Parts: sequence; C-alpha cells; structure tokens
Amino acid sequence: MRRRHPVLVGLILALAFTAATSEEAGVSVRDAWVRESPPGVAMMAGYMALRNNTSRSQVLVAARSPDFETVMIHRTIVKDGMASMVHASQIEIAPNASLLFAPGGYHLMLLNPKRTLRAGNRVDVNLEFRGGLVLPVAFEIRK
Amino acid sequence: MSQAILLPDRVMTLFPDPKPLTAFALTDHKNRVFDLAGLKGKWSFLFFGFTHCPDICPTTLAILARARDNIAKSKVGAEDVQFVFISVDPNRDTAGKLGQYVAYFDTTFLGVTGNDAQIGNLAGQLGAAYQVAFTPGTENYPVYHAATVFLVDPRARYHAMFTPPLDAETISRRFKVLRELEGAKAT
Repeated sequence: MRRRHPVLVGLILALAFTAATSEEAGVSVRDAWVRESPPGVAMMAGYMALRNNTSRSQVLVAARSPDFETVMIHRTIVKDGMASMVHASQIEIAPNASLLFAPGGYHLMLLNPKRTLRAGNRVDVNLEFRGGLVLPVAFEIRK
Repeated sequence: MSQAILLPDRVMTLFPDPKPLTAFALTDHKNRVFDLAGLKGKWSFLFFGFTHCPDICPTTLAILARARDNIAKSKVGAEDVQFVFISVDPNRDTAGKLGQYVAYFDTTFLGVTGNDAQIGNLAGQLGAAYQVAFTPGTENYPVYHAATVFLVDPRARYHAMFTPPLDAETISRRFKVLRELEGAKAT
C-alpha cells in the first residue's frame, strides 16, 4: 500500500501542472465594442463579455490602451434614484464564469482618445490580470 | 392620491391621474426660452444627464433616438412628440455644446439647461434627483442624475415614466398605446 503513494502524488502533480499551463490563456473576450462618441466629447465607454475558462478566480486589475490617455474600470450604479459611476479598482471573475461589461453596468471608461475615432475603427486595449496575465483585445467602434 | 401602475414589462410606470406641471424656465441649445408653454400641445420625453457621461447618457439617448424612429414610422408619426435632454451640468454644457451633442443622436432632439434653481424646479416636480459634485479646478467631477425617462403629456402633465433597463421597442410600443388611449379620451 505504501508504495502506491508516490505514484498517486506524481499523478496529482502532473494533472495540476497540465491545468496550470492550460490556464495561461484561460480568459477570453468576445463582442468587444466601444460606443462612438458625439462630437466634442472626449469620453467613451467600452463593453465586452469576459469569460474565465479556468478553475480559479481571475482578477482584472487594470486596462491600458495606446489609443487613450486614461482607461479606467467603471461601473454605473443607480442609488437613491440617481445614476452615478463608481471606479472599480479590481473585478473578480469566478471560476468558469462570465462577466458582462454592458451599457448601464460595468464598462471601461476611455478618456481622451489620441486620434479621431469613428464607427468602424478599431482600438487596442490590454486587460491586465492579477498574476501578470495581459490579454490584448481589439475593440470595434460602433455607433 | 394618484396611483402609479407599473406595467407588466416593468419598464413603464403610468400615472392614471397625471400631475399638472407648474411654471418653470430653462434655455434651449439655440438660446431660446424653454418653459411650461414649450411642453403644451406635444408629448415630451425628458431625460436628465450631462455630456461628460460616457455610459448611461449616450446609451439612453441612442435608445430614445431609435424609439423616435419607430414612432416617426408609425401611422400617427412623431409630429406631436419631442425629446428633451436636460443637462444638470450647465458649467460644462454650454448651449453650443448641447446643440452639437443632442444633434448627434437625432437632429430633432432638444438640449436644454439653466442654473441650479431653474433645473431644480423642473427636476423637483418630476422627482428627478441629481447632484453635481463640482470642484473648482477639476475637469472631471462626478455628476449624479436620474436614469429615468419622464413622459409629459400635451397638457403638460407628468403622465408616465420609463425606468431602466430601457429598450426602444418597449418605449415606442407603450407610447403608441398610451397616445391612442389619451386621443380617444380627448374626443
């Protein structure tokens, strides 16, 4: 009986290692878009569906873009009948769960675009997760 | 007491005994007076917000623009319907800026604003809470405002409200029924 243990431990380690490596690209994004801004407005909002395909929580800690001066993770909340935006310093996505960035909820606040952006253009945003994972995402500007 | 009825789609709340609005004075994006007379003879969709608002304001105005398209395409059309965006941030939203902003969504949209007391007058009558956390020297100060769309009838009475999550189809469909009912009452 005692001789089996090292084999079992080895098997568990091997499985754990396989899981860890496949988790490297374990966060995926679809339907990433930014609403075109009206003339004279230097503020835009980015939306997307984030999916954590791993068995661990993933924490989005920052977003950066070469196309904007500032990118912040925001959430629109309605409190006492008033809508306002709150800054989210980080967002946790549960294992094997999705998180929607959608109008009226979570969004990337994109401040001061560095070029004129019109519907049909694309902007690049890097999503940074705790642990060092950086996910580059192309957002489409839509009307 | 007027009773409010939340319709089954949970988007529109109807006031069967609509409250008449009283005198107020604001200024539109062409520097014309926008007052109680401006609400008479037309159905008015009112939304409070500000142009430095990346999420909820453009989202709501885009939905209202689609709702207006739907209404304009219907048999009765949108001749007696107006959409008014009321900025609660007059410090940044000048008439010129407001005009450019609302026209982006729909060229028929009206942008209006005023000083705090003037905005507060109309907002108070509709129960539209707002707060501007203005800090001198700060470019991006927070602004809090109602996420509700208010519907005022052609007799300048607060008749219904739409609460998020909004969608253009529900708004135009509900409005169509309400306008038919009210039209039948008037004759």
